[in-house]
Amino acid sequence: MNSVYDIDYLSLILGYIILIIPFYILWYYKTGLVKDAFIAFIRLTIQLLLVGVYLEFIFDLNSALLNIFWVLIMTILATYTVIKRSELKLKFFFIPIFISILLSVIVTDAFFLGLIIKLNNIFDARYFIPITGMLLGNSIKTIIIALNTYYGKLKKEKELYKWYLANGAKKSEALVPFKREALKNAFNPVIAGVAIIGLISLPGMMTGQILGGSSPVIAVKYQIMLMITIFSSSVISVVLSIYFADKYVFDTFNNLKKINN
Amino acid sequence: MRKPIIIVNNISIFYDKKRIIEDFTFQVKSGEKVVITGESGKGKTSLLNAILGFTPIKEGEIFLFGRLLSSENISKIRNKTAWLPQETSLNFDSVNDIIYMPFEFKINKLNYPSKDAIDTVFKNLNISKELLNKQVDEISGGQKQRLLLASSLLLKKEVLIIDEPTSALDEDNKKRITNYILSKKKLTVIAATHDPYWIKKSDQIIVL
Repeated sequence: MNSVYDIDYLSLILGYIILIIPFYILWYYKTGLVKDAFIAFIRLTIQLLLVGVYLEFIFDLNSALLNIFWVLIMTILATYTVIKRSELKLKFFFIPIFISILLSVIVTDAFFLGLIIKLNNIFDARYFIPITGMLLGNSIKTIIIALNTYYGKLKKEKELYKWYLANGAKKSEALVPFKREALKNAFNPVIAGVAIIGLISLPGMMTGQILGGSSPVIAVKYQIMLMITIFSSSVISVVLSIYFADKYVFDTFNNLKKINN
Repeated sequence: MRKPIIIVNNISIFYDKKRIIEDFTFQVKSGEKVVITGESGKGKTSLLNAILGFTPIKEGEIFLFGRLLSSENISKIRNKTAWLPQETSLNFDSVNDIIYMPFEFKINKLNYPSKDAIDTVFKNLNISKELLNKQVDEISGGQKQRLLLASSLLLKKEVLIIDEPTSALDEDNKKRITNYILSKKKLTVIAATHDPYWIKKSDQIIVL
């Protein structure tokens, strides 16, 4: 196995200097994003450093219970991020979205780690945590787009929704066009992304495995299965999130409540 | 004497914490043509919305088809109505959606319009059948309004509730379409409008 070149801390700091260019551009066009971007990269750094330390520790212990606990924390953070980024009310959305993400993680983890990779212990930290992390990271993006589209369109096209209801549609029937739009908006870019993998982009996991010394063929097999799992898990979590949240966000006359902060 | 199909008893409606309709009462008999008129901001649209449970009422009660307007009855009530908000507030991609979308709902499937039914309604509302192949951004506001009215009539519901039914129509079409809709004996119509011709042709005028 080839050893991997480490990046020393001085080079790491040098790496940050490149950020001056995008920050300058964002500032020049008065996008209002500089502060957010700055905080985002600070957070990225702190979070990853902590996770690095924590993962070393958790990998050493490799206790199933501790790993499950860690994945639960990751799911809670994912839920929180989705709701904040969609500017929705925590009190309506926390439980439905948490349950949906958790369910989709359980199903897809069991499938990927248990059935495909056939791990003896699916809670093995080296697989369970990074794979779940990738599932969550990728689902989050699509859930945010889907929820934004769904509730955005329901608010913007409120009269259309009422037109359906007042002309005899059941609530579930009246919501179909809005769900269709949400799925289309969320998964169009995902499908486009899947279609160009290998040609234009080499995905992060595959790159990582190759850098880590795996054979490209193994890395490719993992990547294919991972893309399928991510796609399935995202679709499942989007549909479940909307399904569960629908139980909370309409009043007894099927009118949409005030759901945004 | 025909029996009342809609009873509105002492209702109050609030908009942004301001009371816009206070202690308001009226009745609509089956087949009656009722017009709600009054200056903008007086609550015409809110009143129409309240009748179908889209705007909450603070006091009073509303009955439709002998049922109290409540969460238990709302679906049964909405099954018997056709409702049309202001034409500009509804966005569609294709003209086909305007006419056929409501018939995808289970309750309306039995009433799926025959070619003849569509021909008749289109003729009476002065709509060319070629419009059916168009996108909504290719047609005028007046055409869209006539198509929406056509769709509402094709649903063959007992009650039609419409906001500004003739706002986008020219004078000729206004008269023709007003006459056609208000001549339907069995249909109960509640419309909010300023249109003098529609008001003149209605049986009951409610001024807010």
